[in-house]
Amino acid sequence: MNDLMIAKEQVRYEQKAYWRNPMAAVFTFMFPVVFLVVVGTSAGSFRVPGTSLRYDQYTVVAMLTFGLIAACYTNLGMVVCNRRDSGVLKRMRGTPIAIGSYMGGIIGSIMINVAVLTIVVVGIGMSFYHLHFPYHPLATVVTLVVGIVTFCALGLAVTIIIPNADAAPAVINGIYFPIIFISGVFYPISNGSVLSKIADWFPIRHMITALVSAFEGGPGSGVRPRDLVVMLIWAAAALVFTARRFRWEPRHR
Amino acid sequence: MPADADLAISVQGLTKSYGSVEALRGIDFDVRRGEVLALLGPNGAGKTTAVEILEGYRKRDGGTVSVFGIDPERRDRGLRAKVGIVLQECAVDPYLTVTEAITQRSGLYPRPRPVGEVIGLVGLEAKARARVKTLSGGQQRRLDLGLALVGNPELIFLDEPTTGFDPSARHEAWDVVRGLCAEGRTVVLTTHYMDEAQVLADSVTVIAAGRVVASGSPDTLGGRDHGMTTVRFVLPSGVSVGTLPLPVGLEPQQRGGVVEFRIDEPTEVLHALTGWAVERGEVLSGLTVNRPSLEDVYLALTSRDLP
Repeated sequence: MNDLMIAKEQVRYEQKAYWRNPMAAVFTFMFPVVFLVVVGTSAGSFRVPGTSLRYDQYTVVAMLTFGLIAACYTNLGMVVCNRRDSGVLKRMRGTPIAIGSYMGGIIGSIMINVAVLTIVVVGIGMSFYHLHFPYHPLATVVTLVVGIVTFCALGLAVTIIIPNADAAPAVINGIYFPIIFISGVFYPISNGSVLSKIADWFPIRHMITALVSAFEGGPGSGVRPRDLVVMLIWAAAALVFTARRFRWEPRHR
Repeated sequence: MPADADLAISVQGLTKSYGSVEALRGIDFDVRRGEVLALLGPNGAGKTTAVEILEGYRKRDGGTVSVFGIDPERRDRGLRAKVGIVLQECAVDPYLTVTEAITQRSGLYPRPRPVGEVIGLVGLEAKARARVKTLSGGQQRRLDLGLALVGNPELIFLDEPTTGFDPSARHEAWDVVRGLCAEGRTVVLTTHYMDEAQVLADSVTVIAAGRVVASGSPDTLGGRDHGMTTVRFVLPSGVSVGTLPLPVGLEPQQRGGVVEFRIDEPTEVLHALTGWAVERGEVLSGLTVNRPSLEDVYLALTSRDLP
């Protein structure tokens, strides 16, 4: 088999392992959907300032971001830490597999998860909250792909500062939970506020504003280059850090 | 380095330090193709470091290392396809089944063994459809061995392969290793069990404090074939040690009625002793004649104070 076929096979095995492990699927799918239902049924129909979306419709976009981060950053970080500690990564490095095939397989599987998540979350929004099908489908896809790249890169990078698998949930969640709150994932943060200015340094708020722009109607392509550039700067920094410091084996105890 | 086609592994002057700790202080050994080499040594002696350098996991500081003529540090994919590695921990995705895990691994190699054959080889037929996380510890280690064998490797590294096995599982694992050598594969094995080295290995290399302190076949290691033989028997009642027909200069020790002495070549003294006993109508009860075991030799080698 060539490297591409091996990567495709790896996607298949990653998908099997993913759906058989209830924890990962719960984090990626159940949390966003439950939150969506709770907010959707309790939210009034006021418009979120600075957008043409209602609060419940905005929540669809926010939960898509939340789920994407869980599927990419959280899931990849956890998977890598667990496999590093249990020796799976070391074992894979002892086989002839190309690093690209292995990592490509893992990330390919994550892309499938994000696609399913997008269909489920947007489907709920369109069915129950009168969300329009994204007005700019291309901008939506581009933003999602940039999001996958960024949050997968951050998921790989975060494993470098995690000493062992026991510490992984605390470090992974501890880093991004505060940022999620100030980035407007659970409630909109108005532009120009102090929180928004802090959040603008991080990629999550840019992901939401880029997705909102792609979902709402308006002139132009719907693409928000500035948001995407900030995300890609984070991605590049994370990849450089990963390339230099990534560990395949547990730290010696 | 001269390429010797008969050698699977050649190690010369290998050194490796972790910070200020010298893990390997210049070790040499060769492994011929089709040979089983057992690396023995106390914990922390450097055997895992040596093996991990051969496996391509670690970079060395100095010396030359060649595996099938290739420097493992280059992480050559062709070389990795020829090598099977069993680490101490079982490392398989817990949510895949046994068949899936082995099938996945087989797809990475140019000439894999059939998956069903590998499952049979490691005795997991009954668990072929079970998820890895439901396997017992021993079954997981057998799966690990299966994963190392599915690529049809010419060289297999086994790191303490039977630690934690019950006696029957150990004997089954030994049969698998013997089968591998019968097929002409090369095996490098680290172990703490002297009986394992004695039974499986063609040659033994003992590493202590980062140096090779002895190497040879299990039967000749450390001069074991001509080492002191220990003779022991119960002193017949009414006999004093002084009246035994022992050669001059031999100093027998007596402990609780048991006489013990050491001698290079026991044939003559045994003849004299047993002749003496038969003449007197006595019995030398509990008579044993022991050459030093591999374990005795190992303990003597590794307990020396090393710089």
